[in-house]
Amino acid sequence: MGLDGMEVIAIVVVVGLFYVVLKQFGIWEPLSLEESNDGDLELSMVRHQPEGLDQLQVQTKFTRKELQSLYRGFKNECPSGLVDEETFKTIYSQFFPQGDATTYAHFLFNAFDMDRSGSIRFEDFVIGLSVLLRGSVTEKLRWAFNLYDINKDGYVTKEEMLAIMTSIYDMMGRYTLPSVRDDSPFDHVEKFFQKMDRNRDGVVTIDEFIETCQKDESIMASMQLFENVI
Amino acid sequence: MAAGAPWLPFARAAAIGWMPVASAPMPVPPPEKRRGRTGLIVLNVSGTKFQTWPDTLERYPDTLLGSTERDFFFLEESNEFFFDRDPDIFRHILNFYRTGKLHFPRQECISAYDEELAFFGIIPEIIGDCCYEEYKDRHREDQERIQDDVEMEQSRELVSVDLSFRETMWRAFENPHTSTMALVLYYVTGFFIAVSVMANVAETVPCGAAPNRVRQVSCGERYALAFFCLDTACVMIFTVEYVLRLLVAPSRYKFVKSVMSIIDVVAIMPYYIGLVMTDNEDVSGAFVTLRVFRVFRIFKFSRHSAGLRILGYTLKSCASELGFLLFSLTMAIIIFATVMFYAEKGSSDSKFTSIPAAFWYTIVTMTTLGYGDMVPQTIMGKIFGSVCSLSGVLVIALPVPVIVSNFSKFYLQSQRSEKRRAQKVSKEAGQALVCKINHDYEVHQHHLLQCLEKTTNHQFVEEKMYHESCREVTLVKQVSRSSSILSSPHSLTSCCARRKKNFNVPNSNMSVALQSSFQELSTIQISERPRVVSRSSLNANFEETVPLNCDQAHITAAVISSPTPAGTKPAGTKPAGTKPAGTKPGGDGSTGSTNDSQGNIVGVSAL
Repeated sequence: MGLDGMEVIAIVVVVGLFYVVLKQFGIWEPLSLEESNDGDLELSMVRHQPEGLDQLQVQTKFTRKELQSLYRGFKNECPSGLVDEETFKTIYSQFFPQGDATTYAHFLFNAFDMDRSGSIRFEDFVIGLSVLLRGSVTEKLRWAFNLYDINKDGYVTKEEMLAIMTSIYDMMGRYTLPSVRDDSPFDHVEKFFQKMDRNRDGVVTIDEFIETCQKDESIMASMQLFENVI
Repeated sequence: MAAGAPWLPFARAAAIGWMPVASAPMPVPPPEKRRGRTGLIVLNVSGTKFQTWPDTLERYPDTLLGSTERDFFFLEESNEFFFDRDPDIFRHILNFYRTGKLHFPRQECISAYDEELAFFGIIPEIIGDCCYEEYKDRHREDQERIQDDVEMEQSRELVSVDLSFRETMWRAFENPHTSTMALVLYYVTGFFIAVSVMANVAETVPCGAAPNRVRQVSCGERYALAFFCLDTACVMIFTVEYVLRLLVAPSRYKFVKSVMSIIDVVAIMPYYIGLVMTDNEDVSGAFVTLRVFRVFRIFKFSRHSAGLRILGYTLKSCASELGFLLFSLTMAIIIFATVMFYAEKGSSDSKFTSIPAAFWYTIVTMTTLGYGDMVPQTIMGKIFGSVCSLSGVLVIALPVPVIVSNFSKFYLQSQRSEKRRAQKVSKEAGQALVCKINHDYEVHQHHLLQCLEKTTNHQFVEEKMYHESCREVTLVKQVSRSSSILSSPHSLTSCCARRKKNFNVPNSNMSVALQSSFQELSTIQISERPRVVSRSSLNANFEETVPLNCDQAHITAAVISSPTPAGTKPAGTKPAGTKPAGTKPGGDGSTGSTNDSQGNIVGVSAL
C-alpha cells in the first residue's frame, strides 16, 4: 500500500470515530428519539370484569356455586379476564399433544366468541358452557350447527364442512391406526352430506340438520354424554 | 397436568361439536367423582390462619398437604389443621400450591427454608427460575461454611488425641500455631529466607574499588568468603528443613509433587550444582545463570504469608481470564504493529525496521508506558499510534475486575475462617450458658449414667485430667483408634456444665461379668483406654504400674476397680481418694480438683 492508501484509511477511521461520538451525544440523529417510547403502554390496560353474578345466573343454567367455581378457575388461568385467540389455541392444544389442534381451536373460538370481539370474555365462556352442559338437545345441536357454519350465514356448505373435518382429522396427528389418508376428510364429508342433505342442494340448513340428528339414535345418545362434567 | 386442569371440563364440553359428524358411537365416559367442594380448609400455622380450597392443595398429591398425611395434623375441636412451623416460610409454600411456582425469599435463612421444604414434602428443585440461582448460591455458601466447620472440628479433635511423632512434626510444619516448637521453626526459617534473599541482593552492590584496581567490584567479589559462608549456612538450613518435611510428610509422593517442594528444591539446587562444578571454566557461565534461581527462595515466604497464597490461588483460578487477556493483547499487538510498520515505512530513518520491531512499540504504547525510544514520525503513524494507546487501556482494563473479584472472594473466605476460629470460643461459652436445660433432664440423665457405671463397673473421669496425664506419660504415641469415643462426649461436656464426664467406657471386649459384686477384686481385661493414673503415682513408680496405655489399642493390663460407694455418689461430694496400701494406686486424676469424678481404681499389673 502506498502512502495514499494509508491516508484514506486514516481518514475513514477518523470519520468513523467522529460519527460514533456524535451518535453517542444524540446530535447526529435527533429525530429517532421520540418514537420508541409509546409502544409499551397499550397492552397492560386491557382488562375485563364480568357482569354480576345475578345476571349470569339468569342468562345461564348454572347454579351460583358453579358459576363461582367456574370463574375462579377462569380467573386463575387468565387474570386479565379475557382470552385471546392465541391463548385459546395454546390451552386447547394441551389436550391433544399428538396432533395439531390449532385449526379446530380457531373454529371453536369463533363459536364461543359470539360478538366477534376477538376475545372470549367470561360471559361468552359461561354462556357457551351452559348450552353445552345444561342445554336441551336441540340447543346443543344448534350450537354444533353454529360451529360448522363458519361464515354464520345459516348454511353449511361442503367447503365449510371440509374445513371442519380436516381440522378434526388434524387433531389426530400422524400416528394413527389406520393412518389418516389425504382424502379421509373428503370421504367423511361426503358421507355426512349424504346423510344430512335432504333436498340435495349442496348445503345443509339448520332444520335439515336438527331433523336428521333427531332421527339418529347414536347421535342423540352421544349428546347426553357430558352432562355431569361440572 | 395441573396447568390444564381448570380447562378440562371446557374441552370435554366442546367435544359435543364432534358428535354429529362422528362415524362411530362414543365411548362411555368415566364416572364422575362427586366431591364435596364445599368448605375452605383452614391451616393454622403457629397461630397464623391460612385458608384455601381443598382443590388447591390436592394439585400436588405427593406432598404433605396434598395427601392424606395432613390428616395427622387435624384438630377436631377447632376443625382445622395445625402445624407447629414457621408461618413466614409457610406463606411461600402455600403460594406454591396456588400458583405452581415456588419462590425463595431472599431474607430467609437457607437451612430454615430447607427444613420447611423437607417437612412439607416439597423438593427444592422446583424452585422457579426467578429464585433458583439465588437459592443455589446460598446453598453453596452454606456448604462451604459447613465444610470449614467440619474441618475445624477435625483439626481440633486431633489436637486432643495423641499423635505419632511424625504427624506432630508434620502439623508443626504446616501450621505454626500448634505448638511452640512449630512457632520457633516458623520464625527461624523465615529469618533465614530473608537473610538469604538479602545476601543475594547485597552481593551485587558495588562495594568500592579494590585496592589496586580501577573499576568497582561488587560486594560479592570483595567479600566472597563471607557470602559463601552465609550462603552455605542458609542452604544447610533449607536442606535440613526440606529433608525433614519429606520424612514426616504423610504422603511423600504427594509432597514431592507439590509446588512448594519444587520451589524448595529449585532454591537450593544452584548451590549444590555450584559445589560440584567449581573449576570448569566453560560451564561456569551456565553456573552463573543458575544463580538466578536462588531468587526463588523468596517464594518460600508464601508458606508464611496467607496473602501470598491467596494471590496464588487467585491467579490459578483466573487462568481463563488471564488467558483471554493474553490472547486479546496478542491479537491487538499484531494488528497495530503491522499497521504502524506500514505507516512508518515511508519515513526515512524510521526505527520501525520490521514488524517484530514494531511489536516493542505497540506493547509499550498499549500498556501506556511510553518509553519514547520508538516514536512515529509520519502523521498516519501518529494517528494510528493514538488509536493504539486508547485501545490498549481498554483491552487491559477488561479482565481485571474479574481477577479482582476472584481475589476478594478468596480473601474473604480466608478471613471468614479466621474469624470463625476466633468466634468459636465465645460461641461455646454462650452455648454452655444456654445448655443448662432443665433440672429434670439433668437428674434423669445423671441417674442413667449411674446405671451405666454400675453396669460396667467403671466410672467416669474428667476428660481434661485424663488427657493431661496421658500426655505427660509418654511421648511415643501411636495412632489411637478411640477418637470416636472421645467425640461422642463432647455433647455431654458442653451440655452438662455441672457434671463434666467422660465416657471411659471400654468397648465391647470386656470379658468379665461386670454385674458381679464389685467389692471383691476381679480382674478385668480392657481393650481400650484404661483409667487415669493419678499424678502422684506417676512420678513415684511408673515403671511398675500399668503403663498408661492411652493409645494402645489392646491393653492387656488388668485394672481392678473397687469403686467405693463414695465414688458413685452424685456430684457435689468429694470423696477422698482412698488408696489402699500395698497396691499401686491407679486412681484417677482427681487430686484436689473440684470436679466430681471420683472412684478409686486400683491398678495391678498382672497377665
